[in-house]
Amino acid sequence: MSNPSDKRRRESIGAADDLERWFGGDFVPTETFRPIAPNIQVYRPQLTSVLSIANRVTGVALGLGALGLVAWLIAAASGPHLFLIAQNIVFSWPGEIFLIGLTFAFFLHFLGGVRHLVWDTVRGFELRSIYASGWAVVITSIILTAATWVFALRGG
Amino acid sequence: MGRDTRLPRARARGLGSAHGGTHHWWAERVSAIALVPLTIWLLVGLIIHLSGDYNEVVGWLASPVTSLLIILLLIAAFHHVALGLQVIVEDYNHGESKYLMILLLRFGCYAAAASGILAELKIVFAT
Amino acid sequence: MIIRSSDQLPRATLLKRFPIPKNFGLTPGSRVRRGKRWPVPTGAKHTKTIDIYRFNPDTGDNPRLDRYVIDLDNCGPMVLDALIWIKSEVDSTLTFRRSCREGVCGSCAMNIDGTNWLACTRFLADLPAVSKIYPLPSRRIIKDLVPDLTHLFAQYEMIEPWIKTGASTPEHERLQSPEERARLDGYYECILCFCCTSACPSHWWNPGRFLGPAALLQAWRWLTDSRDEGTAERLDQLEDPFRLYRCHTILNCTRTCPKGLNPGKAIAEIKRMMIERQS
Repeated sequence: MSNPSDKRRRESIGAADDLERWFGGDFVPTETFRPIAPNIQVYRPQLTSVLSIANRVTGVALGLGALGLVAWLIAAASGPHLFLIAQNIVFSWPGEIFLIGLTFAFFLHFLGGVRHLVWDTVRGFELRSIYASGWAVVITSIILTAATWVFALRGG
Repeated sequence: MGRDTRLPRARARGLGSAHGGTHHWWAERVSAIALVPLTIWLLVGLIIHLSGDYNEVVGWLASPVTSLLIILLLIAAFHHVALGLQVIVEDYNHGESKYLMILLLRFGCYAAAASGILAELKIVFAT
Repeated sequence: MIIRSSDQLPRATLLKRFPIPKNFGLTPGSRVRRGKRWPVPTGAKHTKTIDIYRFNPDTGDNPRLDRYVIDLDNCGPMVLDALIWIKSEVDSTLTFRRSCREGVCGSCAMNIDGTNWLACTRFLADLPAVSKIYPLPSRRIIKDLVPDLTHLFAQYEMIEPWIKTGASTPEHERLQSPEERARLDGYYECILCFCCTSACPSHWWNPGRFLGPAALLQAWRWLTDSRDEGTAERLDQLEDPFRLYRCHTILNCTRTCPKGLNPGKAIAEIKRMMIERQS
């Protein structure tokens, strides 16, 4: 293999392609190769970023849950036979575990969403409030999920 | 593709401002606010009725209030999902497939909403 | 635990980094290799170990992480003092930006033990026994801890950070009430260190088109300045699904600002102004 700096030079010219795709523009044309400093690989997970990505992940999960709701509705509309199959899936133990997870995702996304809506009114931006509301969302989600399932399994 | 040799100012400017985006942001918030009461209602309703037999569940689903709220929920929910998924695709996908992904996901949401509404209508009118 | 101000460090850490491979997603030339272990200072009683990101543009090698052991008794209290001590006593090739050493110029912004801060206002005593120093995340690196900030300054320039006045001029000076002047507090103090923009995941994934917290905070500074008459044009330029609306209120920016400013709030104010002119 040739000289490493030739490799860097070639990479700097070709790198514009995949760096453009990855980083969409943060590239200043230079002949000398400039590496990209690590970002998510080294940045500390904090309540801010973790709750934010959790909101996105739970949102996608709930989207799939909504698809499941539609499937269940179609089963109900199709008659008792299909509905029974759907109910057996729902009340099987993998189904129950999935529903518990979905409930937790629901509360996390719901309370996180309310937190976002409050921010949209330009309230609650002091760091103290950001952290207090963040922990409140997490703790309340756990409590509400537990409460829902205790109630559902005992009462409902 | 070759190198992009634009100077920094031109790069930062890009194709200029789209003079838009506020509508998408607002629609996501409007659908979210609608979903606050609707999802709570659904959660309570499912807790109460999910474990019932076929006639109980269909009876609940066919009732006027339930059917209205479920249809409103499906519209608001899948609109919210479509908007959210578009943002996710735009965030992470910068290639050629971005537009196709956005279209597919959006159409999927419309199809899901329509299917759910149709199923609910069938329960209300044809069961 | 509740963080009250950005200089507060967490008392306990569950996760020091996201559970992903060390060089995940980095293109081949950006991957960080293990580097040199520099000699431990002899006879030092109180030491700390710091792994520092190194990159030499002249050799064409990959970036690496060099391990230094610093003698706390012979070194000043701040992380910048440690860097200067290393450069003076151990390895004179270590390269970094610095100027005021008092937290007002923004030169020494870097990623210290996982979060962005100024090296000159971060106490060594707050670092664990072994910590890592990286340059500002997601930036192109010129050498060692020196990032290329050209693009960030281009984005800042794009929001036109100067007063825009109309055709008519006032008879004497332009007036501004104390209340109007107070609206600039918390925004004019920005030192453009770019800790916030380099901490924003949305800017990591969309650096070309998303302006980032630093530029947007300054955009708000001019939007809220009562003497500025270009509000309408500024809002027109900002209203874009990427320039402004890639902000998803992640709030890493507010968490990391070494001057205690609140870019997240500034961006929320801009979004509110956008809604105000629609309805």
